[in-house]
Amino acid sequence: MSDERPPHDLRDTMLAEASLAHGLTRTWRTPAGLLGALSTVDHKIIGRRYIATAFVFLALGGILGLLMRWQLARPEARVIGPDLYNQIFTVHGTNMMFLFAVPVMEAFAVYLVPLMVGTRNIAFPRLNAFSYWVYLAGGILLWVAFILDTGPDVGWFAYVPLSGPQYAAGKRADIWAQMITFTEISALAVAVEIVVTVLKQRAPGMSLNRVPLFVWSMLVTSFVIILAMPAVMVASTALILDRLVGTHFFNPAEGGDVLLWQHLFWFFGHPEVYIIFIPAVGMISSMLPTFCRRPIFGYLPLVLAVVGTGILAFGLWVHHMFTTGLPRMGESFFTASSMAIAVPNGIQIFCWLATIWYGRPVLKTPMLMILAFFFTFIPGGLTGVMVASVPLDTQVHDTYFVVAHFHYVLVGGAVFPLIGAVYYWYPKFVGRMMSERIGRWVAGLLLVGFNLTFFPMHILGLQGMTRRIYAYPEEMGWGGMNLFVSLSAVVLAAGFLLFFIDVFRAARHGPEAGENPWGAATLEWATASPPPPYNFARIPVVRSANPLWDSPDSLPVATGLRVDRRELLVTSVTEARPEAREASPSDSIWPLIAAICTCSMLLASIFTPWAVVWGMIPVAAALTAWFWPKGSPEEEA
Amino acid sequence: MTAKARAATLILLALTLAACKREERATRLDPPVAEALDKVAVLPVGIGGRPPEVYPALGSPYRSNAYQLSQGKRLYEWFNCRGCHADGGGNTGPALLDGWWRYGPDAVSIFVSIRDGRPNGMPAFRDRLTTEQIWQLTGYIQSMGATAISVAAPSRSDRMQSRPAENRAPATFPAPR
Repeated sequence: MSDERPPHDLRDTMLAEASLAHGLTRTWRTPAGLLGALSTVDHKIIGRRYIATAFVFLALGGILGLLMRWQLARPEARVIGPDLYNQIFTVHGTNMMFLFAVPVMEAFAVYLVPLMVGTRNIAFPRLNAFSYWVYLAGGILLWVAFILDTGPDVGWFAYVPLSGPQYAAGKRADIWAQMITFTEISALAVAVEIVVTVLKQRAPGMSLNRVPLFVWSMLVTSFVIILAMPAVMVASTALILDRLVGTHFFNPAEGGDVLLWQHLFWFFGHPEVYIIFIPAVGMISSMLPTFCRRPIFGYLPLVLAVVGTGILAFGLWVHHMFTTGLPRMGESFFTASSMAIAVPNGIQIFCWLATIWYGRPVLKTPMLMILAFFFTFIPGGLTGVMVASVPLDTQVHDTYFVVAHFHYVLVGGAVFPLIGAVYYWYPKFVGRMMSERIGRWVAGLLLVGFNLTFFPMHILGLQGMTRRIYAYPEEMGWGGMNLFVSLSAVVLAAGFLLFFIDVFRAARHGPEAGENPWGAATLEWATASPPPPYNFARIPVVRSANPLWDSPDSLPVATGLRVDRRELLVTSVTEARPEAREASPSDSIWPLIAAICTCSMLLASIFTPWAVVWGMIPVAAALTAWFWPKGSPEEEA
Repeated sequence: MTAKARAATLILLALTLAACKREERATRLDPPVAEALDKVAVLPVGIGGRPPEVYPALGSPYRSNAYQLSQGKRLYEWFNCRGCHADGGGNTGPALLDGWWRYGPDAVSIFVSIRDGRPNGMPAFRDRLTTEQIWQLTGYIQSMGATAISVAAPSRSDRMQSRPAENRAPATFPAPR
């Protein structure tokens, strides 16, 4: 390769379009072959992997949901025994929260944020590769354990003392706690990358008031992750220590505290809901203008609402614990703060409604999914206000009313926008359009199937059906409605099945998309579909919040970046003024090796604490190799 | 299938079976099996003998299965074994951790001790525990005095600690106070 090396310090200013594209491709592309695939640091390849993996987990978790509905369809059914049922509902919840919902949102950010802010790769791309491998290992850990009859069976929240050393025999709860560690590591890594990418790598001119709303919401989400995840990290580590080493964090007899677990878990667990929800509102805010053919109404209030939601998210965790016997004062405070979260969410809903009102809505599939979001999330939000009040919560705590509520907010609030987002950005990911005709069916089946499945659960809950039961006697009279729910679940599943079919079908047979099939305004549509390895041949310069609408024919660009090595532009935090040319790391196999070492250490530590000591050695070796200095300057101002 | 792939499959299968056995939770034993479990063949002196045939057929779960062991530990608590044997170190009753067994260390002897009682204070639990529960207790008592830690061993209890948890250290005779 060295013989055809271009002259040192080749800048893009010196080159014509064709040779520029050629040079950039040679610098940025991922080499073919297995080694190339395993060592790539391209955010688009890793983002695609992340998204695909997360949707595999969605499908698997959905199958578990159907199994539960099969068992509950009739009273006293004997499809699944109590032990397997416990594992199934735990793995369903854990899988959906930790392996699907959070990673899929971060996956979209990994793919889209660098494109939306107009840069060539995510910040810390090797960390990005590392985070994917760790996430994958965590998912495999959970599912292999489940297949081996060692699936966690203590609920996705793993309350002590039930999950503690005395009551959770075997390794099942350890699998849960360690899988949490895997997903924490990967989520924290991605969060750090997003924050740095958004704050330091935006295209010149993209001052904070011109940042696309999806990027804003991912920035807020990333900060929420950074602040919330350590709580559950501490909690799950303490749980493992209690179980394996015999510490007494959660043992009241030796000065520990059982309720400490719930506080630590929900201090993470409630923001977790917003870690899932805030990206979804960002997706809506980014898709809505495209389909209303006008800029978003109330950019500033929307940004403030997202930031406000992110802050308030940390002040509500106790509403999960209203029945634990807390002081009245605490209950009142957290009731008030839980209801206060409706304010920023209400502001967002009104801004979106105003956008639709003043626009000319085009009812394509993503828009239909946004409408499905409105019809589903708003009832979910209303029941949220209901369970925020202590007297009502005490009545419906641990009943199907709560199951219905959180599926309304999570599926309605996050999965529906997400499906819309897949339809919206699929052309960018793959270069082909998904079917509009199938999309309408998907939207219809999902909306109808979902509401028929989960609305009756409100009533079942009010009738007293408790969560997490594997069977119920016929005399309770819940049989008819449960059968209806189970049959509706099949409709919902059919919607998802159709969606997956469309995804696979469109990858081969969908019509070519072109750069900007929807006529959207943000920068990710300013490059080819799928984007080349270097994203943009020249870094765009942004002069408004809707760059592709305000300068439709030609986008101004910045020049002066080197072509013969991976380089991107670092800009200032608020104004996005260019500050430096920064080298972007090249492909490396070490993130994979470091991930394997880390995962082996964590896995072995389920069996003996000494694994942490001995496992540190390969981890340290792999990290040393990863960060071995290269001797070339990292940035040039 | 290549030899390597076959070996990998076999290892995976073995791991699977091992994990299945260790983690399996048989919450309800079939009544005929439970009845057959009671048929131990004891020597005339009441010490030593042969376990019922169904015991190995079940895979001897009471010493190797995490759930069964933890059930045994729970029964140790609930039926106040602690009252005489303390935390295994012994009090008015003999110690269970020191490797010295008055009526033999094998499962059948311990089973018979619990079921039928022994002279000088050990009551019979025949009418208080089911056969399955007696076997669970037997397995736990055998494991608490074992010199090697089992992967299936229970962890510490949520109570005051008097000795390292079963999964932490080989059982030791508590230091005299």
